[in-house]
Amino acid sequence: MKPKPKTQPKKSTEERRKSLAQLLKNKGTEIYEDLEKGKFPSFSVPSRSVSNIVYDTKLRQYILGSNASLRSSRNMSQLRSFTQLMWLAFFANRLVNEKKSSTLRDIYYSSQAFAVDFEDQPESDNIIVDLEAVLTRPREDLHIFPEERSSVFGDLTIEYTVPGYEGKRSNLSDHPDGYLIGPSLSSCELVDTSAELVIAIEKGGLFTRFVEEKVDKKFKAIIVDTAGQAPRSTRYLLKRLHDEMGLPVVILTDGDVYGEHIAMVIKSGSANAAHLRELTVPDAKWLGVWASDIEKYKLPTIPMTESDIKRISDLQKDPRYQEGNWKKQLEIFLKLKRKAELEAFSKYGLTNITDKYLPEKPELAKSL
Amino acid sequence: MSSKGTFDQISPSEFFYRNRDLAGFSNPTRSLYTAVREFVENALDACDQQGILPDVHLSIKAVDPEKPDPKPYILSVKDNGPGIESKHVPLAFGTVLYGSKFGLKQARGMFGLGATMAILYGQITTNKPVHVKSSTDGKTQDEFELILDIQKNKPIILKHETKDTSKTGLSISICLEGDYAKAGSKIRDYVYQTSLITPYATVTFDDPKGEKFRYTKIIRSMPPAPTIISPHPYGVDVETIKRMIGDSMFSIPTVDNNTIEKVKTELGLRKKDLNYTEIMAQAKRRWSSLTRNVRVVIAVMSFLKMDFDKLSKIRMDDIDVSRKKLTFWDFGESKSFTIDMDPESDYYKQLTNTVQGETLVSFLTKRFQRVGRTTAEKFAEFAGFKPEKRIGTMTNEELVKLSDSLQKFPTFLSPDPSCLAPLGAEPLEKGMKAFFNPDFISVIQRGASAYSGFPFVVEMGIAYGGAIPAGGTKVYRFANRIPLLYDEGSDVVLKVVGEIDWSRYKVKGDPPLVIVSHICSTRIPYKTVGKENVSDRPEIERELRLALQFLCRKLASYMSKRGLAEMEKKRANLYLKYLPLVAQFCTELAGKKKEPDYKKMLKEAVSIEAET
Repeated sequence: MKPKPKTQPKKSTEERRKSLAQLLKNKGTEIYEDLEKGKFPSFSVPSRSVSNIVYDTKLRQYILGSNASLRSSRNMSQLRSFTQLMWLAFFANRLVNEKKSSTLRDIYYSSQAFAVDFEDQPESDNIIVDLEAVLTRPREDLHIFPEERSSVFGDLTIEYTVPGYEGKRSNLSDHPDGYLIGPSLSSCELVDTSAELVIAIEKGGLFTRFVEEKVDKKFKAIIVDTAGQAPRSTRYLLKRLHDEMGLPVVILTDGDVYGEHIAMVIKSGSANAAHLRELTVPDAKWLGVWASDIEKYKLPTIPMTESDIKRISDLQKDPRYQEGNWKKQLEIFLKLKRKAELEAFSKYGLTNITDKYLPEKPELAKSL
Repeated sequence: MSSKGTFDQISPSEFFYRNRDLAGFSNPTRSLYTAVREFVENALDACDQQGILPDVHLSIKAVDPEKPDPKPYILSVKDNGPGIESKHVPLAFGTVLYGSKFGLKQARGMFGLGATMAILYGQITTNKPVHVKSSTDGKTQDEFELILDIQKNKPIILKHETKDTSKTGLSISICLEGDYAKAGSKIRDYVYQTSLITPYATVTFDDPKGEKFRYTKIIRSMPPAPTIISPHPYGVDVETIKRMIGDSMFSIPTVDNNTIEKVKTELGLRKKDLNYTEIMAQAKRRWSSLTRNVRVVIAVMSFLKMDFDKLSKIRMDDIDVSRKKLTFWDFGESKSFTIDMDPESDYYKQLTNTVQGETLVSFLTKRFQRVGRTTAEKFAEFAGFKPEKRIGTMTNEELVKLSDSLQKFPTFLSPDPSCLAPLGAEPLEKGMKAFFNPDFISVIQRGASAYSGFPFVVEMGIAYGGAIPAGGTKVYRFANRIPLLYDEGSDVVLKVVGEIDWSRYKVKGDPPLVIVSHICSTRIPYKTVGKENVSDRPEIERELRLALQFLCRKLASYMSKRGLAEMEKKRANLYLKYLPLVAQFCTELAGKKKEPDYKKMLKEAVSIEAET
């Protein structure tokens, strides 16, 4: 069923912001009161060790188990990282309240101004993940973004909430290069769309081609470039497009094991983000390129490397790959020991992929 | 061996001249170092023996500073000791094997032999005389210039003057070929380490390059002087026993005029002419004051029943104690007489003692240290001798058996350590404190122990941190207050130190650690003639190990306290740094204006036991 176009933004972004601000304030108050009472404050940080990551078949994603460790300021060896976590909460609170954005790298450098010392960026990145786990909110909610950006194109009207642009609207088909999925797009309200489908593509080259081929019009689609493994802000946008705008999501990747897993992460998350629950699109479909497509379309291939093969056997142990098409495609890849790029379709002409391949995909038809 | 070879007796001087390597005079480097040692040690020994706090001044000057090494140097050592009497000076410094240290007690050197060797070496390398200045009374000083006649082992006095002075002491100056460029660092080490182990002495050294080293007294009390004592049964061999028996026995007296005069004097009868009965009566009265020789003569007279006049006309030929017969030659009658002796007579016992020596029990109790009557009797049984066996009647085989048994008898008391002169824990500690200025120091003096009948005592100190540079454990080894500088590799002390598992004592990496080890013994078991490393006798090794383990335990407890203190400091700093930040951040986060009062927590934070 196609959802009705909406003309008023749901203000979902603003609500999330407010609840997060309250969450931060509550944590701060807890610690403030501990100090007043002369009690050493602590955080309960859910354990992210492998033994505490379990696959939840109901949620269809990896989640953290019930193990948590106490990070206490009473413990000398934890005092430093406790203070780092405290600082990050404090800094994220400023970002959220002042509607400012930051990046992982920026966080690392900002810490120095507050006499909070991180050894290196991996250490500060790790503390950011700790805070995500404590608050069960992705860092994008805390206005902290990775450096890498992906893009979106299509008929989608948004309303900015970032300072200086509040209330201003944009249509994402206005610019042929697409729109960067950055802080402002991550915090915008989704207003309206005529699209009926979201196509996520692994590669920027194909994304540009799709815009040129007017795939958005032909398929009534919003096109998203994941730029490889989709960043969280992209996955978050995909989820919102699905949940808020009621759009089905399909994924196009290279015909190799990494492509298959890019699709899987969009669908059911990564073990790395097991502490977060709002980044998955469980109904998303992987269109291809499947291993079976390589044979079916007689696509030009290149041989797999040893690490490709190792990756296949690793994924075969993953509970999500134990059945259906996911399992079948892995087995064919392993049998072929060859892989194909999305560009392989150019063999039959530049527009072959959009003209022939996409419409033939039964899943595409099904979701349409 | 060819019978054509000629056999000449050589003098001790000649012998040492030919074998000077043995005494440490093998080359100019070693010789200069050895000469310094010999003179400094003699000076310190002389002061020790008289209970004088030593002031020893050493100086080495090149005769011609421009010449390259090896070259002649003038080596002078001056002390404030008792000096040497004028009449002994030429012999003491001009004769090899003339000395004053032949007793069984601890001293740095044994016979004062090395000093003479140094003089000898100086003379043969530079052909210059030795200069000796000595004052025993602090008023006049005898100044000698001597040269050694090597073949005759006799001094030749070139010059002798007497001058006024205000101090006692000995000053000796020789010219010798040396190599200070090479020996310098060892000599400086030697002076430094000697001062460390002699904290009651002032030692100064003016070196040829014009550098002046000054080590002044750290303490002003002397450690107790050692006493000369009898040997321990474990420490004697057959030859020593023979010599000891000889000391306690007298041969058959020759009754010549001299002897008769002596007897008369002791009896107070020089002017009187008494008959036999009167002489015996007088002897009985005076018995307790008579010397042994005289008693023997009286005993013989008692059997001969002669007065002095008759006695002067005979010659004693044999005293056969076992058959109780006495044989003499009468010059008057020109014939030999044999008479019976009454075994019940007191005089018979006197003669028995004289001719056959003491009983075994008496010999053991009187001639050895720490042997009582009971022990002596048990030993006799152990060795298979009758307790009253006369030692003078023992055959060579029996003496060997006696000697062997002495080594094997298990229950002799351990040797008497009063002949030893350890420095003492307190002086050692004070010395080490002044030298190393450490954060931690601990010293121990172990009880006396013995190896092969030679008593020894181990003293040890350990110092950590402070002014001691990091870079690993430095071991200073001493034996009888002498630093041991050469041949470190094979020394028992280093072996014991090397076997310590430092991690057990919380010592890590290259620690700023100093160990001072001092072994005192009447005989240090050196491995080589060079006397630079001590061999690993199990008894000594054990004492060293126990001493070191004791010190290491002390060090470990210091290290853990230090560790705790460091941890506390670290903890305090950590909270001082982070708690204000936490307070600052949570204040803004909670939307408050005033920071929470966390100051009291800083105090508490420090007192929390480290939990990780």
